[in-house]
Amino acid sequence: MFHVFFRSVFGILPLFIVLLPVNSSTCVMENTTVIREKYENILSHDIELLENMSEEYRDRCCRNKRHENPSAFFCNDSQEIRSLQNMACDMLKFFYKKKINKDFRWQTARVSCMTLEILHCRCDRESKNRKVCILLTQPSKDTLEAQSPKKKCCQELCELKETIASLRSCWNKFEKEIAR
Amino acid sequence: MDSPLSPSSARKEAGMFLTLILLLSGRSQRAMAAQRQQGVECIVFNDEYLTCMWGSKEMPTANYSLYYWYIPPRTENHMPVECKHYLQEEGINTGCWFNHSEIIQFRTFYIHINATHEGRSLVIPTKAMKLQDLVKPAPPVNLTIQNISNNQLQLTWDSMYNKPRCLEYAVRYKSNKDTRWTEHLASGKIFSFPSVDYEKYYTFYVKSKINQYCGTTQLWSEWSVPVFWGNNATDKGVAEKQAPWFWIHVVLPTASLMLILVLVILLIRMERVWVIFMPRIPNPSKNFDELFNTHQGNFPEWAGVSKDVVESFKPNYNESFCHVSELPPKEGSSPLWGGRDKPRAPPGRSSAPASSSSPGLILSKKSYVGV
Repeated sequence: MFHVFFRSVFGILPLFIVLLPVNSSTCVMENTTVIREKYENILSHDIELLENMSEEYRDRCCRNKRHENPSAFFCNDSQEIRSLQNMACDMLKFFYKKKINKDFRWQTARVSCMTLEILHCRCDRESKNRKVCILLTQPSKDTLEAQSPKKKCCQELCELKETIASLRSCWNKFEKEIAR
Repeated sequence: MDSPLSPSSARKEAGMFLTLILLLSGRSQRAMAAQRQQGVECIVFNDEYLTCMWGSKEMPTANYSLYYWYIPPRTENHMPVECKHYLQEEGINTGCWFNHSEIIQFRTFYIHINATHEGRSLVIPTKAMKLQDLVKPAPPVNLTIQNISNNQLQLTWDSMYNKPRCLEYAVRYKSNKDTRWTEHLASGKIFSFPSVDYEKYYTFYVKSKINQYCGTTQLWSEWSVPVFWGNNATDKGVAEKQAPWFWIHVVLPTASLMLILVLVILLIRMERVWVIFMPRIPNPSKNFDELFNTHQGNFPEWAGVSKDVVESFKPNYNESFCHVSELPPKEGSSPLWGGRDKPRAPPGRSSAPASSSSPGLILSKKSYVGV
């Protein structure tokens, strides 16, 4: 009876481990040509708009933080799609940061969701970030909370600017890799 | 390798060191300004090699060395590597050349430069770069023009860049009648020129740049070798230029010569015109036909001059005088001169015997020999 108990317990555990939601999200393989066409014809314009919005914010506060951990937004060699997925999912967390401009947050979320859609990737199932893309489908931006009074320096803004630059750079790398 | 100096202390150190160097080397204030303004310029040429230039021969004399690294790996794990191939100007290191294997794009590229002089070293502030944004492609090649349809040209070319899909292009063209160049952007290796004038002579250039999908750069390549078009690309244009020259230097002089020749012939053939330009010289020979033909040139004879007059002009002319004297009167009348007083004959003259004494004039011939 005991070995039945232990067998049932220890046998189920591996099953739970397998069935537990994985922290890293999944991507469905997509034709790189299709990805490239969607990126060039659609997403690149939104990324350019997002970069222009990012440049409007002065980065005086961001200089000291620049060299702290630049590898966090690194685009791994031969793993550009996975890196893009990680960056896009990371950018979704800024959607609820009240210190950042509302339109800037909205455009950031839009680029993130489009990136995930083009790559056929998704973020963590339990993360509330996944709901952001659903909220974006609504026509109005009323779901976004109003921006809090501006402060001189916003470290979250610095982090967002870094992530946007890394996302753009990783897309460039992906394009160059498949352009051979 | 030590970590880079903080910006403020680095600036103070740089200023002190530069002052020291300039005092020792005796350089001018101009060199100091050049050093302060100069930064490090890195360019990746056609994804084949990289050059980073930081100076020129105007820089203070020092031993410059370059170290570089990439992040990632993480900041605390990076290992700076010294440049393996320096570029020099008059013995001073002014740049570094990296081969293809030393280039890693899409990683942050860091460099710093050490300046060493008489035991003291100075670190020029570092600079982080993204090499994928510093790519300068090679210019396009094999420019070709084709005639597609009525008045439409198609320009095509090739690229030496190994990823031509990452390039965008700019086409520059002008006709021989235009004063300014026209530029158009092209995403592919083809450009259509919609309306072409066959009477004009066109010149086309193309340059390339990494497009927005593969990088963020403003570095254009050099312009390509040009291609020409204009109805036998080299002949029509040149022929058009030669036409005025042909008219001015060949046709006009020939026509002028022909006209002059015709006028000359007309002048010669039409006597009444010729006489105006070349009046006849009077010929008195007819009046002297009798002189030459009848009298054989004997002018006195032809003129009717008497022989005596002719003789008188001769040099040995001997004219006889005819002396006239009066006879002595008869008896009862006294002679004019007496018996003994005979008239003397003038000297040189021979006297003729007296004629018979008879009253009246006596004529005697005496000859005069002209001297």
